[in-house]
Amino acid sequence: MNMPEKLIASDTVNTTCCYCGVGCGVTAAVADNQVVAVAGNTDHPANKGRLCIKGSSLHETQSSPDRLLTPMLHGKAVSWDTALDYGASKFREIIEQHGPDAVAFYLSGQLLTEDYYVANKLMKGFIGTANIDTNSRLCMASAVVAHKRAFGSDAVPGCYEDLEQTDLLILVGSNTAYAHPVVYQRIAKAKEERPEMKIVVLDPRRTATCEIADIHLPLRPGSDAYFFNGLLSYLADTNALDREFIAAHTNGFEEALAVAQGQVPDVTAAAHLCQLDRNDVVRVYQLFAGNEKVVTVFSQGINQSSSGVDKGNALINCHLATGKIGKVGAAPFSITGQPNAMGGREVGGLANQLAAHMGYDNSDDINRVESFWQAPNMARKEGLKAVDMFRAIDEGKIKAVWIMATNPAVTMPEAGRIRDALQKCELVMVSDCIGNTDTAKLADVVLPATTWSEKHGTVTNSERCISLQKGFLNAPGQARHDWQIMCDFAAKLGFSEHFDYPHQVDIFREHAALSGLDNNHSRGFNISALADIKREDYESFTPIRWPVTTGSPKGTDRLFGNGQFYTPDGRARFIPIQARLPVHEPTAEQVILNTGRIRDQWHTMSRTGTAAKLLGHVDEPYIDIHPHDIERFGLLEGDLAVLANQGQRYFGRVKAARSQRPGEVFVPMHWNGKYAASSCADALVNAVVDPICGQPEFKHSPVRINPFKQAWNGFLVCAEDIQPHCEYWAKITLDGGYKFRLADGEFPATWSDWIKNQFPLIGDWVDVHDSHDQFYRAAGFSDGRLQVVFSAATDKVSAREMRWLEQQLGEEIDSNTRFAILAGIPGAGVEDVGAIVCSCYQVGQNTIAKAIKGGCTSVEALGAKLKCGTNCGSCIPELKALMR
Amino acid sequence: MVQQGWLVWCGERYEVAGVTGKKKKLLIVGNGMAAGRLLDELIKRDVSGFEVTVIGDERQGSYNRIMLSPVLAGETDVPAIIGKPSSWYRDRGIRFVSGVQVKAVERERKCVLTSEGNRLRYDHLILAVGSRPAKIPAENQQLNNIYSFRTLRDVDRLLNVARFHDRQSRKTDTDALVIGGGLLGLEAAYGLALKGLRVTLVHRSGWLLNRQLDKTAGGYLQRVLEEKNIRFILNDEVARFSGSHELKSAELKSGQSLSCKLCVIATGITPNKELGLAAGLKGARGVAVNPYMATSDEDISAIGECVEFKGETFGLVEPIWQQCITLAERLCNNIKLPFENTPVPTKLKVSGVNLFSAGDFITTDEHRELVYRDDKAGIYRKLLLRDNRIVGAVLFGDARDGQDYFTMLSEKKDVSKIAPFLLMGRAFYQDSDQQQDSDGAVAA
Ligand SMILES: Cc1cc2nc3c(=O)[nH]c(=O)nc-3n(C[C@H](O)[C@H](O)[C@H](O)COP(=O)(O)OP(=O)(O)OC[C@H]3O[C@@H](n4cnc5c(N)ncnc54)[C@H](O)[C@@H]3O)c2cc1C
Ligand code: SF4
Ligand code: SF4
Repeated sequence: MNMPEKLIASDTVNTTCCYCGVGCGVTAAVADNQVVAVAGNTDHPANKGRLCIKGSSLHETQSSPDRLLTPMLHGKAVSWDTALDYGASKFREIIEQHGPDAVAFYLSGQLLTEDYYVANKLMKGFIGTANIDTNSRLCMASAVVAHKRAFGSDAVPGCYEDLEQTDLLILVGSNTAYAHPVVYQRIAKAKEERPEMKIVVLDPRRTATCEIADIHLPLRPGSDAYFFNGLLSYLADTNALDREFIAAHTNGFEEALAVAQGQVPDVTAAAHLCQLDRNDVVRVYQLFAGNEKVVTVFSQGINQSSSGVDKGNALINCHLATGKIGKVGAAPFSITGQPNAMGGREVGGLANQLAAHMGYDNSDDINRVESFWQAPNMARKEGLKAVDMFRAIDEGKIKAVWIMATNPAVTMPEAGRIRDALQKCELVMVSDCIGNTDTAKLADVVLPATTWSEKHGTVTNSERCISLQKGFLNAPGQARHDWQIMCDFAAKLGFSEHFDYPHQVDIFREHAALSGLDNNHSRGFNISALADIKREDYESFTPIRWPVTTGSPKGTDRLFGNGQFYTPDGRARFIPIQARLPVHEPTAEQVILNTGRIRDQWHTMSRTGTAAKLLGHVDEPYIDIHPHDIERFGLLEGDLAVLANQGQRYFGRVKAARSQRPGEVFVPMHWNGKYAASSCADALVNAVVDPICGQPEFKHSPVRINPFKQAWNGFLVCAEDIQPHCEYWAKITLDGGYKFRLADGEFPATWSDWIKNQFPLIGDWVDVHDSHDQFYRAAGFSDGRLQVVFSAATDKVSAREMRWLEQQLGEEIDSNTRFAILAGIPGAGVEDVGAIVCSCYQVGQNTIAKAIKGGCTSVEALGAKLKCGTNCGSCIPELKALMR
Repeated sequence: MVQQGWLVWCGERYEVAGVTGKKKKLLIVGNGMAAGRLLDELIKRDVSGFEVTVIGDERQGSYNRIMLSPVLAGETDVPAIIGKPSSWYRDRGIRFVSGVQVKAVERERKCVLTSEGNRLRYDHLILAVGSRPAKIPAENQQLNNIYSFRTLRDVDRLLNVARFHDRQSRKTDTDALVIGGGLLGLEAAYGLALKGLRVTLVHRSGWLLNRQLDKTAGGYLQRVLEEKNIRFILNDEVARFSGSHELKSAELKSGQSLSCKLCVIATGITPNKELGLAAGLKGARGVAVNPYMATSDEDISAIGECVEFKGETFGLVEPIWQQCITLAERLCNNIKLPFENTPVPTKLKVSGVNLFSAGDFITTDEHRELVYRDDKAGIYRKLLLRDNRIVGAVLFGDARDGQDYFTMLSEKKDVSKIAPFLLMGRAFYQDSDQQQDSDGAVAA
């Protein structure tokens, strides 16, 4: 890491990190139209100077070799006009023939609020359909609906400080250590300063977050709502209710309690239903009852379920019942994964929302928005949500789709079917900064969009904090902002006068004005005080939490402190919850598949996958599985196993994990067709969705698991990016190229031809061949520089990898060192550092183990000696685990 | 000092012992590399019980025949390779009879008959008469300028021709014709090419060094030597030479005819067994010896290239050194140290050519073959394994690890664990041996 000691003011800009919903403020040093260094912005409320490894690698991940520079039409570079003319005339044609519901937009939480606003307005007001949805659907649609049901508005009651100032923090299905690293750091620090603060983790897996937990409850997957129903019953039984609050500020308590008691009457029932130790449940219930300040954080673990909305409400019920809301250190707190998922929700860029917290359930809202926009073709009903949208594409009902800044061919459930659907679709438009994502490969029109550091506009993080993601670099090639692209597109459809925005600030003002239109405290999202924001103020936007109104011009840290909610009668709503288990139950040969993220990878790797440092941490698709299951299914640790469901396969390396419950496996969701042959977790996920919000059940799919019977395995290190002709491969980005792990159930005719045919331009080869075909190794050079190393073997130990070897890629290699290249080891006793644990300083497991043996018994001691864990701190849970 | 003189009796001259006649007469016939080494070994031990005589038909004292190739190539000179000038013998009380050939061994009389008609008596006789260049079946070999490559004299004459050779003249197809693509032929061809002669080498087999290398390595070797200005004709032989006195051309079996000025025949060696076999010693390809280098006559021993041991003859010095030690131990110390014929690796003395061959070199179905190939650098390494043990090694281009493989081959080491690293050399398989267990790296 070359973190500058101090950034020089004249060359620095303040912006926000684009990697996750924490929304950290970043100060970037710029020189020659490049970001040369980044540091946490000490003035930003979300992170106060901190950054995680992803954030502090922002400058390393920028320049992708795959960057798209010109518009492409059917694979050929064309002008903007040609590309947009083609798209627009197709759209028009399809709308004329089949009506507006035959077209759709699929957006992403990557887009800025201004982009969202333009997309939403164009689609719902001018094209005339609400077929606009986003990948945030996959993330927090459940929370949106839970919030709306309970509070009358999609609003997170608290802010990040509450997580630090609470006395009891319950993390539900949220591996904060990996998913929201800076929030995790803040919690960890608070816990260190106030050890009496209790932390409880509710998660079937013993995740890294459990390192700071006082209690971990490994509950049965999907049983969260039973747990909170049980808690509600317990609170009633033990007189722990806030009767006054319930009476003054809520509706529906008695019914909700009755349903909860009918299903989970007591602690014993709760423990039984959630498959937990009764004493543990009692302890947590007692803690909840006994503490004034309780924050319950929930995210994907709860949201990505077929009953996610209910789970959210079950836990919100408990907060309402005890009045633990709207106060310092007391709130139910939904935390989002995507950088601007919240911005999309505020704009209303989802199929079942209208705009600015207005909905399709209210015809006044529809009319209001129609007249505000002067919309000629106002969509008057909800559109299709993500999963249904892609089904409609598959069925040919939707004939044109425009996908922006996301990669559904990888991330959607049944990703294999999504690919098929897109292949059939008459018009697929994609705007992205990278031209060769799995989705872009299926597109007719691919448009080059700007990306972080070029884009300019606002984002909102998980605590309602709006900040500016600043554009300060020139876009390369012909790349343009998404909102500009859409405005031009709108003009081509004949709507130019309504999409004639000179600058982002003009969009923002319109958005702010709409948020305040006839609001009168009926809608949570209100930033009307910013409707006349000056251009200068916008350009140096001070982070602020909404609502921002004339009454609260400095923003609002906490909502509902006065007991006023956004429902018509101002009262919060209890929702009676009939808890349900996941839809599909596994058969005897199946295990339950749970998907999620790992620490250093973000989404489908198209951005982070290029930074070698980030892949050092966990570099191959894997399957976390309990040792009993390893035995039960005849697997071997470290070997490959195959998960199969609906005709799709996921290959991963077997990792024994006692943190896993027997019968359940966990796989990371990041790998896709660019990074692995067949390790796309979401392809195995059943398209089962929450009936209320349409969010898919990512966390619970029964799948088969079998050992992969490999004839051979090996690795390939090369400078050029290829797709190895191999049943299994996983790509790992190195500093000077790529590494592939390989395995195949069958032998190629000869390994020598196999490798050489894949690198036809390389003529200078050296190889080692075994007539018994137990191993094969080859290295290829151009101009004496190492380009390819391939090692194959039938056993598992011969094709051993060494970091040293990877460092030789691109180096000039004399004929003597060629022996070493084939051996894969320098030969002169150079130590292998092992799997990288600390990505920031590239400290490997072997090095750390040695230091621990040598007497480093604390994280601090390790840090002093090896520097590991001293930058972003995200590896500390693993350091601790190594010391045990 | 030994007193000496001659006694003429019944018309024949006999050598007479001096006053110190009590010592046993040890007579060594042949003064080549085996004799030279044996003398060293004897002196190292105790030879005071012997009166030692050496008779050799070459003029010089024992010299290092191996170094004839570098001499021809101009990489060293003649004085540097003469290990034992006449003074060496004098200083050690060894009688040295040079330029004299032994014509017959008369076992009943325990004496040998020399080309000068003298008879020398022995108590113990040692035959170290080596071998001579093998004949080829071609016609007209008596022509001038057709040479062998065996002795200093051969090299002298070749150097002479080369010295007066007109490098500009291109009247003939080739300047020098070398017959035989074995070690000797290649070294001769290389030496002549270095002198600026255009050299063509005719070889009967399909690839060079076909007794030491496989076809691939032979091909590599050919490529390297072609770069050194040697042309090759494989799968062919000389049928006849032509010319009146001087050699003018050679006609090959294929029908091709090559005009040339000079020819070196180096197609192999024939053990000088006749001296011994004529005297009634046992043997077929050579003079047969037992593990203690004794022939069928207990007063006669034999060493070097004239010997046949368990049906095998010799062509490299390494085993001959062992023979000398065995014999010296027996004669001086009466210790019986059996000679064992262990395989010997091959090396070629051509600068810039590194090759090594030991044990099996042609792959058969019974072998597991491991091959390293680096076409660009011209490196080829092949190991042949049987039951996880090295039974053959062929290295070309980089022969550094030959000795290690050879050791493993001799020790029959189990190499199954280190097989993938073997070909890369010691630095790697030793490492891998250790790292295999302690390494925490992912096994892919
Ligand atoms: C050019 C060349 C290069 C070589 N390179 C190598 C090499 O690299 N490595 C290797 O291991 N080996 C090499 N050799 C082979 C090695 O030189 C022989 O193996 C070795 O010289 C054999 O020793 P010797 O004493 O048995 O025979 P010689 O050295 O041939 O000695 C026999 C001597 O006996 C003499 N003699 C023969 N008959 C009689 C007689 N009747 N009376 C008196 N004297 C007689 C001969 O003139 C000769 O001087 C090479 C040989 C040649 C010619
Ligand atoms: S926590 Fe999220 S927003 Fe903050 S630096 Fe890391 S990735 Fe970026
Ligand atoms: S992967 Fe995470 S951040 Fe991305 S959409 Fe899903 S839940 Fe949201």
